[in-house]
Amino acid sequence: MDMITLILLLFLGGAIVTWLGGKLSPIVGDMLFLVTIIVPAGMFFTGVTVGEVTHLHALGLTLTWGLSPLSYLFSMIVVGLGILLAIYAVPFMKGKQKTGAFYFNFTLSVMAMLGILVSKDWVSFFIFWEIMTWSSYLMVILNGKDVQRVGIKYFIFSAIGAYAMLMAMVVMNSQLGSFLMADTFNNFQHLTVGNQILIPILLLTAFGVKSAMMPLHVWAPDAYSNAPMAYTGLFSGALSKMGIYGMVLVMVTMINQLPEGTLIRDIIAWMGGFTAAAATLWAITQDDGKKLLAWSSVGQMGYIIVGVAIGTPLAMLAALFLVVVHAMFKGSLFMVVGAIEKQTGTTDFREINGLIRKMPWTFISALISVIALAGIPPLAGFVSKWMLYEALIQNNNYILVILLFFASTAGFLYCYKFLHGYFLGQEEPEWAHVKEAPAAMVIPMLLLAIGTFVLGTFPQLLFKPIDSALQYVGYDATGGHLWGQSILFSEWGDIVTLQPILYVVLAVFVFFALFLWFKGTKGTRYVSTKDISTSGELPKEWENLTFKVNFMQPFERTIEPFLKRQIDKYYTAFGNGLEALFEFTRRIYTGNGQTYAIYAILFLALLLLFRVNLFG
Amino acid sequence: MEYILIKTLEAMATFILAFLVGMTYGGVVRKITGRVHNRLGPPWYQNFIDAFKLFSKTRGIHHGAMHFLGAAFLMVTSVVSLMIIPVLAPGGHAWYNSWFTNMNFNGDLIFLLYIMTFGPLGMAMGAGQTGNPNSSIGVTRGLSQMVGFEIPWVMALVALMISYKTTSVIDFMNIQRETGTWLMFANPFAFIAAVLAMLGMFRYSPFDIVGAPTELASGPVSENGGKFLFTMMSSGSVFTFAKLVLYVDLFMGGANNLVMLVVKTFLLYMIPVLYGIVSPRYRTEQAVRWFWGWPTFIGLLAILYAVMF
Repeated sequence: MDMITLILLLFLGGAIVTWLGGKLSPIVGDMLFLVTIIVPAGMFFTGVTVGEVTHLHALGLTLTWGLSPLSYLFSMIVVGLGILLAIYAVPFMKGKQKTGAFYFNFTLSVMAMLGILVSKDWVSFFIFWEIMTWSSYLMVILNGKDVQRVGIKYFIFSAIGAYAMLMAMVVMNSQLGSFLMADTFNNFQHLTVGNQILIPILLLTAFGVKSAMMPLHVWAPDAYSNAPMAYTGLFSGALSKMGIYGMVLVMVTMINQLPEGTLIRDIIAWMGGFTAAAATLWAITQDDGKKLLAWSSVGQMGYIIVGVAIGTPLAMLAALFLVVVHAMFKGSLFMVVGAIEKQTGTTDFREINGLIRKMPWTFISALISVIALAGIPPLAGFVSKWMLYEALIQNNNYILVILLFFASTAGFLYCYKFLHGYFLGQEEPEWAHVKEAPAAMVIPMLLLAIGTFVLGTFPQLLFKPIDSALQYVGYDATGGHLWGQSILFSEWGDIVTLQPILYVVLAVFVFFALFLWFKGTKGTRYVSTKDISTSGELPKEWENLTFKVNFMQPFERTIEPFLKRQIDKYYTAFGNGLEALFEFTRRIYTGNGQTYAIYAILFLALLLLFRVNLFG
Repeated sequence: MEYILIKTLEAMATFILAFLVGMTYGGVVRKITGRVHNRLGPPWYQNFIDAFKLFSKTRGIHHGAMHFLGAAFLMVTSVVSLMIIPVLAPGGHAWYNSWFTNMNFNGDLIFLLYIMTFGPLGMAMGAGQTGNPNSSIGVTRGLSQMVGFEIPWVMALVALMISYKTTSVIDFMNIQRETGTWLMFANPFAFIAAVLAMLGMFRYSPFDIVGAPTELASGPVSENGGKFLFTMMSSGSVFTFAKLVLYVDLFMGGANNLVMLVVKTFLLYMIPVLYGIVSPRYRTEQAVRWFWGWPTFIGLLAILYAVMF
C-alpha cells in the first residue's frame, strides 16, 4: 500500500477508533485524537513526495490519487492548521458535550480535505467533497443551536454546489468519456461551445459556494460562528480554501481556453471585490466576535477570489500568498475567540471588558494577527495586499483597486472593534476572576501569529512553493520564478527594497517603546481604569464608563442605506414563494383518497367528453 | 559602520527639521486662528514652550503596557513616513541636500498608505486601555473619518499611478522635473480630490470630530499628560510636516531647497487651516458622507482623466 492511501486510511480508521475510545474514557479519546491527527500528518510531511501517483480500483472505477505542487501548497495549510487546531481542541473541548462527535468530524474533515487535494479524478474529488461537506455540516449543528436556521441554510447551499458539480462531472464524462481531471482539462476544446461555458460556470458555482463568494455566501457567517471555535479555524482557514483550490484549477485550465474567458474572469473578480467590500461593512456592524470574524473571513475570501479571477501571475501569487496567510491569522483569531469563550463563557463584545491584563498572551496573539489582517507592514498581510494592488493596477482594474482599498481601510474599523471589544476598555469586577487560557491553547495561536510575522519578513519561504505550484499549472516564469514581476522583491524573493524599512520600523518602535517604558514606569503606580480623569472630573464608583453598545454607531449610520439591502432577504422571499407554491400543490395532492377518486372520475369524464377529438 | 553613523545623523537632522517646522506651524496656526477670532493669540513659539513644559514633567501613574505601546506606534509612523518621503527634490543643488535623502529611494505610495495607518491604530489601542470612554468614542470617529477621506485620496493616487505607471514617490518627482509640469496641473482633478481628502487628514474643522474639545475632551489623548503628551505632540508635528511634504512632492514638484519647501508646505497647509477656522463641526456621518460625495466624484473624474489622456 502506498503512502497517500495509507495516510487517508489512517485518518479514517483513527476517526472511528477515537470515537470508540472516547466512549471508554475522555482521556483515552483525547490521546487517540492527537495521535490520529499528528501521526498521519507527520507521515504526510516526511513520506509523501510531490508527483507520486497511485491508482485504486474500486466499484468498477479506477480512482487516481497523487500530489501535485499546487495541492501540496494547500495540503500544507490543511495539515499544519490541522495539527495546531488539534492540540488546541483538546483543552478547548474539555468538559464539553459531544467530544467524541467533535473529534470524529474533525478528523474526517482533515481526511476529506487531503483527499480532495490528492484526487486526480472527479469521482474521488466528489466523494471527498461530500465527506467534507457532511462532516462540516455535522460540526455546524454540533451545539444544537439554531439547527433549523443555520444548518438548513448551509445544507441547501452545499447541496446546490454539490449538484452543480455533479452535473458538470456527468456532462464531462458523457462527452469526453473520462473522469480523469487531466483528460477533461486537456480535451476541453473538444466540447461543444455551450458545454464549454456551462461546465466552468457549474464548477465555479460549486466552488463559489464553498469559498463563500457573494451572492452564495449567506450560509457562511452563521455556519462559521455556530461551529465550535476549535473547528472554525479549520473551517475558515482550510475548508473554505478548497473552494479556492477548485477555482484555481478551473480558472487556469478551462477559462483560459475560452474566448469568453476574460468576461467570466471580470465578472468573478467583481463579485470577489464586492464580497470584500460588503462583507467588511457587515463585519463592522456585528456585536459578537464570532460573527465579526466570520464576516471578515468572507471578506478576505473576496480578496483571494479577486486575485484568482484576475489570473495574471502576480495576482495569482498574491492570492495564493493570502490563502496561506489568511489561514494563519484567521486560525489564530478564531483560537483567540475560542479561548475567550472558554474562559468567560461568552463572546459578546457588549458583555466582556478589559481582558488585556488577565489574558496577556491571548492579547498578543490577537494583536499580531489583527495587524496582519489589516495588512499593515511589516506583517505578512501587507505583502499579499501589496502584490494584489500592483497586479490590479498593471491589469487596468482601477475601480477594483479603489473597492479593495476601501474594504481594507474599512477593515481597520472591525479590527479595532475586535481588539477593543475583548481586551480594552473598562475593567469590570464581573470579569476579575478570568485567568489566561491553558498553555496548550495559547501556544498554537501564538505560533500562528508569529508565523505571519516571519512570512512578512521572509516572504521567500512561501514564494518558492507557490512559485512551483503556479509553474505546475502552466504559468511561464521568466528567469525561473514569478515573484520578480513585483517591484517589491528582488531576484531571491526576499524583500530587498523594503527590508531596510522594516528594520527601521522595528528599531524605532523598540526604541520608543523602551524609552517610554523606562520613563513611564519608573516610580509610577498602575491606576485602574476607574481611576481616570474625564475632563478633570474624577468619576464616581457607581458611574458607568463602559462604552460597548453601539460601538460603531456613527459609521453604521453612514452606511445605513447600504445595510438595508440584503441578499438574504431575497433568498427568504424566494423560499417563501416556493413554500406558497408547495402549499398550492398540496391542495391538489391532498393525500385524501376521496380527492384522488374525484380526479380519476373527472379524468374519465374528460376522456368521454372529448373521445371524438382524441380517438377519432 | 561609519556609513550607518552618518546615515543616522542625517536621519536625525531630518527629524529635527520636521520637528522644528511642524512645531512652528502649529504655533503659527494658533496665532492665525486667534487673529481671525479677533483675539491676540499666543506667540508663534508657544508650542515649543508647551512641549518643553510637557517634557520636563514627571509622571506619577501609568495605565499599562498597551498604553505605552500606543505612543510608540504613533512615533514609529511619523518617523518612518518622514524617512521614506523625499524631503527635497533629487535635482536640487544646495549643499545640505544630501542630508535629507534618508530612504527616499524606497518611497512607495502603497507602503506609505498602510504605514500611515499604523500609528493611529496603535494609538487607538493605547487610548482603549486607559478605559476612558471619550477616548474610545474619539477613536471610532477617527477611524470612520479615515474610511471617508481615504476614498478620494486613494482615487487621486491611483489616477497618478495610471498616468505614470509607477508607485514610487521619487519617480513622480523625477517626472515632474523632466516634463517641467507640476502634477497639480497635469491632472488637476487628482489634485483637487487629494486636497479635499487633506481636509479630513489634518482634522481641522469641520472635520475635527476626533478631538472635538467640547464633546470628547480632546478624545484619544485625554488620558495622556507629561511625556506622553509630549511624544504625541511632537509626533503629530512631525507627521503633519511629513504629510505636507508628500503633497508637495506629488503635486508641486517637490522643493529644491529648504526655503521653497517651507513656502510650498505652508501655502498648502493654509488650505485646511483657513477652511477650518471659519467652519463649525460636522457630525461623524455627515463628515464621512461628505467625503463620499463631491470629493469621490472628483476622484472618479481624475481616474477618467488619467485613463483618457
